[in-house]
Amino acid sequence: MLAGASCATPAFAGGTPAGTDIQNIATATYETLGGPIEIDSNLVVIRVDELLDVTVSSSNPGDVATTPSGNNVQTFQVTNSGNGNEAFALVANVAVGGDDFDPSLQSLVLDSNNNGVYDAGVDTIYVAGSNDPVLAPDTSITVFIITSTPASAVNNNRAEVSLLASAVTGTGAPGSSFPGAGDGNSNAVVGNTGADAQASSFLAVQAALLALVKSAAVADPFGGTRPVPGSVITYTLVASVSGSGTLTNITISDPIPAETTYSAQSITLEGVGQSDAVDTDQGSFNGSAIRVAVGSLASGESRTVTFRVTIQ
Amino acid sequence: MKNWQIEKLTACVAALFASTAAAAGTQVQLSSDVFVEKQIRQPDGSTSLVLEQPKLVTPGDNLVFIVKFKNAGAAPAENFIVTNPVPNAVAFNGTSDGTETVSIDNGENWGLLSALRVKDTEGNLRPAQMADVTHIRWSLNQSLPVGSEGKVIFRGVVR
Repeated sequence: MLAGASCATPAFAGGTPAGTDIQNIATATYETLGGPIEIDSNLVVIRVDELLDVTVSSSNPGDVATTPSGNNVQTFQVTNSGNGNEAFALVANVAVGGDDFDPSLQSLVLDSNNNGVYDAGVDTIYVAGSNDPVLAPDTSITVFIITSTPASAVNNNRAEVSLLASAVTGTGAPGSSFPGAGDGNSNAVVGNTGADAQASSFLAVQAALLALVKSAAVADPFGGTRPVPGSVITYTLVASVSGSGTLTNITISDPIPAETTYSAQSITLEGVGQSDAVDTDQGSFNGSAIRVAVGSLASGESRTVTFRVTIQ
Repeated sequence: MKNWQIEKLTACVAALFASTAAAAGTQVQLSSDVFVEKQIRQPDGSTSLVLEQPKLVTPGDNLVFIVKFKNAGAAPAENFIVTNPVPNAVAFNGTSDGTETVSIDNGENWGLLSALRVKDTEGNLRPAQMADVTHIRWSLNQSLPVGSEGKVIFRGVVR
């Protein structure tokens, strides 16, 4: 490029595009008795070489929540911080040491529709050496690492997953060069990043556990607590969730014990009476068992259900 | 008196010949060289700056431009001025002697860098910076005598 309009060169982070020719020519003017003269110097042409640089960052704001046997999506950003069009090889590492478990790698996926969200069956599965993403200077691609968590993982286990991106032209110590391998027949030169970079993101198991505790209180017809025919037993069921996360669609059901008779309309949930019919409230009785649809409970929450039977 | 007139006429003819030769580009020679400044790490751990032929040039590299001139003709060159447009991909980074004037608008207006202003996108004026410079000019303010030579040097950073 020859000198043109002022400030015409955009300030790319990656700098002047590789393969650009820097052309320099000086001019001199002077006067002789014969009039003004203008002369040009020789032209010096320097080709800007390709700097190989890459950065990788995790797009997940914190730990990615997982559950035992769950599938996971971790999102990374690979940016070409060099000044040439460069292909990058990607490697996912799920077996990083020093963590609690190793998830199994399902696939490495390129965000081919560029919406930043993993679209199963739409985004392209990465195959090393066959569809290494080619990035223009200062552009990025979103990469998803799809894994599954082993069934043996327990609450609060963490797993480190990392993505490594390397310039296909070559990597090495900053300043290493690959003659003629750059854009526009320029040379390729390894930049400060070493032409490879990696970033990590953590999976954290959030396993919620449901506990159900049942207790009984007996009231006999004589004001005592003996279980005799005619005594009324009040059963109390407490469902509580521990660990981390939320359990959904929790249902408590309990068959009516033999030799007892269910007391109609006796179901309560958190002290609120529930009808026996299957209707808009959460409790019901089907003739042999009570059933209460508790719904979702987050860790630390509990629900108390009671019902009564009479000993025959 | 008559002799003087003849002598003067001879001088004019000589000058005419000289200017003809200059018009053919042979009187003043002008050459341009560019070097790249590399930091070389020494075995003792220190670094030293070395000027190299530009074999590998990447954004951020410091370039040194050297413009040499020599009056190889038979007559002095009056009002000798050297102008060097700064290549687009290079940000001007100063001269060795500071005697230059610069332009930030492709040679339309000239001045000391400190006297120039740039209008930003909102129409406000800010002091021009070295990276704004599009052209550099050295005016020798004197004639370049026959046989004399010199050079001007400026530095730039690959954008």
